[in-house]
Amino acid sequence: MKRTVATIFAGLLAASPLAAQSAEDFPTKPMTYIIPFNAGGESDISARFQQSEWEAVTGQQVVIQYQPGAGGAQAWSQLNSLPGDGYTVMGINLPHTVLQPLAGSVGYATEDLTPVHYFHYTPNAIFVRKESQFESLDQLIEHAKANPGMVTFAGSGSNSANNLAAVQLNQLAEVNTTYVPFSGTGPSITAILGGSTMAGFNYATSGVSQGDAMRMLAVASEERLASFPDVPTFKELGYDIVGGAYRGVAVPASTSEELRQRISDIVSQINAQPAFIEKMESAGFVLTDIGYDKMDEFVAERVEEYTAGAKALGIIQ
Amino acid sequence: MDILGYLLNALTPFNLLLALVGVILGTVIGALPGLSATMAVAVLVPFTFTMDPAAGLIALGAIYTGAIYGGAYAAILVNTPGTPSAIATTFDGFPMAKRGDGGLALSLATIASVAGGIVGAVSLLLLAPPLAKVALSFGPTEYFWLAMFGLTLIAALSVGNTVKGLIGACVGLFLSMIGVAVVGGDVRYTMGMQRFLAGIDLTSAIIGLYCVPVILDLVATADPHLKPSETGGLRFRDSLRMSLNRKFNVIRSSVIGTVIGILPGAGGSIAGLVSYSEARRSSDEPESFGKGNPDGVIATEAANNATVGGGFIPTLVLGIPGTPPDAIILGALLVQGIKIGPTLFTTDADIVYTFIWGLLIATALMLPVGLLIGRYAYSFIIKVPKAILAPTVALLTIIGAFAIHSNVEDAQLMVVLGIFAWILNRYGFQPSPIVLGLVLGSIAEQGFVQTYLIGNASGRLAEMFFMRPISIGIICAAVLTLVFPIWADWKSKRRAQLAQVAEQLADDGTGIAPEPKQRDVPGMVIAGIFIVLGVVIYLGASGMSPLGSVFPKTIAAALIAFSAILIAMNLRLPAGGPSEAIELNAAAKHRIALGAVMLAWVVLMPAIGFLVTSMAAFIAIMVIADYDNPPAKMWAIWITAGLLICTAFWWLMAEVLLLRMPTGLLF
Repeated sequence: MKRTVATIFAGLLAASPLAAQSAEDFPTKPMTYIIPFNAGGESDISARFQQSEWEAVTGQQVVIQYQPGAGGAQAWSQLNSLPGDGYTVMGINLPHTVLQPLAGSVGYATEDLTPVHYFHYTPNAIFVRKESQFESLDQLIEHAKANPGMVTFAGSGSNSANNLAAVQLNQLAEVNTTYVPFSGTGPSITAILGGSTMAGFNYATSGVSQGDAMRMLAVASEERLASFPDVPTFKELGYDIVGGAYRGVAVPASTSEELRQRISDIVSQINAQPAFIEKMESAGFVLTDIGYDKMDEFVAERVEEYTAGAKALGIIQ
Repeated sequence: MDILGYLLNALTPFNLLLALVGVILGTVIGALPGLSATMAVAVLVPFTFTMDPAAGLIALGAIYTGAIYGGAYAAILVNTPGTPSAIATTFDGFPMAKRGDGGLALSLATIASVAGGIVGAVSLLLLAPPLAKVALSFGPTEYFWLAMFGLTLIAALSVGNTVKGLIGACVGLFLSMIGVAVVGGDVRYTMGMQRFLAGIDLTSAIIGLYCVPVILDLVATADPHLKPSETGGLRFRDSLRMSLNRKFNVIRSSVIGTVIGILPGAGGSIAGLVSYSEARRSSDEPESFGKGNPDGVIATEAANNATVGGGFIPTLVLGIPGTPPDAIILGALLVQGIKIGPTLFTTDADIVYTFIWGLLIATALMLPVGLLIGRYAYSFIIKVPKAILAPTVALLTIIGAFAIHSNVEDAQLMVVLGIFAWILNRYGFQPSPIVLGLVLGSIAEQGFVQTYLIGNASGRLAEMFFMRPISIGIICAAVLTLVFPIWADWKSKRRAQLAQVAEQLADDGTGIAPEPKQRDVPGMVIAGIFIVLGVVIYLGASGMSPLGSVFPKTIAAALIAFSAILIAMNLRLPAGGPSEAIELNAAAKHRIALGAVMLAWVVLMPAIGFLVTSMAAFIAIMVIADYDNPPAKMWAIWITAGLLICTAFWWLMAEVLLLRMPTGLLF
């Protein structure tokens, strides 16, 4: 009962505007971290890893909430209507936030969103199940050349990073394969393991969680991954495919410059925690440190890259 | 014997306490429509970071299983599934409660849930690695046919009214297509409105379609909400005896629930629907299903709690979560540094087996906890005056629809859908086929398009759809379910003819409306509107990608065809049916007033604030629902109680579940 009374008082106090607090003191109460997807995906798991370090870095806890829908667009289209006091942040993903507005009216434009830090990325990778006849990417491509259209790739979503990579492979290897979209990484992995599709375009993280059950044929990173030293990159094999999904933290547009920088610093500091690095890398995530100061340049480059990709996907002319 | 050794680990006082508290919390959250296991588990995950992994898992698992069970309370007592898993519980649970057997229905649900939960958890304990293969043997084709099987239940739910049931299903399937399509990525039927991007939320639609009509009827007359029980109490002995007599149903439903729980993405709602359908098919008296047959409650509740154990099988063995709460628990395990996968059962055996024992203990604890909570919930619903019951239930619907995404728009949609559902139900279009279409639509569509893509790529389209062994099994079951009600109907008619007895089935308004013998003019008008809707859907699909437009065009064609059939059938009947003029009697006035208050509530909430609008609406509904005309002193007590209820729920949402509440001008 005491708590109730205290809460009501706290609520009344919160309703009256307080003097703006300085960014150094931030945060002084728990923060909310909205994930625009269902639980269990890469966005959720990397945020949970951050959550376990959050209190050590900021002195406050962070609460994770899920607001799935429309491949993330539901949450992103509402981001700017949230209070810009810094206490509510939202996960943000590339290429989603570039490709979705290009594909149709999804309630936001890429430049409406304010990412303050992109903290990791998951490179695309081609997987087959362990029973598969394909041991290398060359074998798979040979098969695709001999049987146009017959090679099927399971992937997460339409107009997604996985879809983009599959289209790029078709162009660069001059093959015709079929991309089959599923409603997330889980269902598409199930389709690969169950043999519904011949192969899959997924994120490298799935290679860790599935262990020996799946074989990774190639990975779309610049260099080989520490957790998969034996898996070649597409570049090594002669296909210029580097990409995947970047994940970061965004704030409402009304958030002050100081708080944007402060939240960016918090994410950077978490990125430097040894325990966090260990968990992320052993799960197959590739850490990046793209802070608020480097954000405009980074986003501009990605927009250029994905717009070209969107033309290839046929979602813009 | 190793496995038994871990039982001792699970039996520490701390673990037992976690299991008990988890089950109580889960049951209460599950009983409140819209507050889901996913939400509770998501909020509590951080607290488990500092716990021993097994203890944290036990707490989360207990909440999860408790919430799936708790969904039955709202389903039985107010005809609203507390969680989507309990959809089929409403079919027979609420009719039982209406006729005075609510306590019995709650006890049956408790026993069935415990039995189902134990079957699921024991399967997880003993057979997890081999059973995980079931998840992999289900490809897109099997999911498509499973959804089709679920849809065949419409035939059973709307005997004598099949065309209206089919039209309802098409409407539900259409609602499921709104938003951004997973396959193809098209933005469909949002009418340019941001709120429809993510589609119609299933939970808020269920709350609207099932619960708003109940409240509208609740305020319309002075009759009690449920007929008071003759013997009182939960009638635990009766229910135990009845469950033992129906042990075959309990076991079959638990097995169905476990297997469907293993399938990622299927979940408790489909498990409940499939086992309900099977229970009805194998029953000696299928015509009594939907009118309060205990077998219906047992089948659904045994199946949905069995999905808890079943769902953990692919989660722990393959790292592929079976359900959303499983997905959160998977994340919690990864944060603890535990590697999920086939080796989990050997490398981290102590954690996994301790957790599974804890889950079993929590499931067993549902029996005493459930009977205790059930007793209070039942007597509250029976004894509380209408002037308190109606606004409380209304508040719960608003909270439930809002809480899913902290979004007022979901609550607005819920109220509008609910009012439509009441009107449609009045003219013979029941809500259940619409809900079935909505639940199964996206699974059916994704399965269909994926199968088409894969089959087309390999040039074996027909083979993909019809020649896979598991698919053939599901197709056979679907055909049986489809044909059986018609056959049973024919058989019972024949029996009636032989006995020369005019059998008049009692129709208490909750069951199936008898086929009208005269022209059903309102039905024809509604069918005409649906033809227009079908044309609009068809035209709207023309701008979509080929992948995204297949399903909408098919559904539009079906909707137009069924509506045309309904009109044609009615044209053959003699005119001059019950052309009841819409008269504005007292009941209608109460209903309109309630609808208006609920609409005003959700429209004003973002501008004025959650707490103020809720308190005002609570008092307004109190006035509408009051038939007792109590003295002023009683009113004072009622209003105080109402204000306390509103504040308590606001506190629960804002401070415990940490939802973002609409503040608006006031609070």
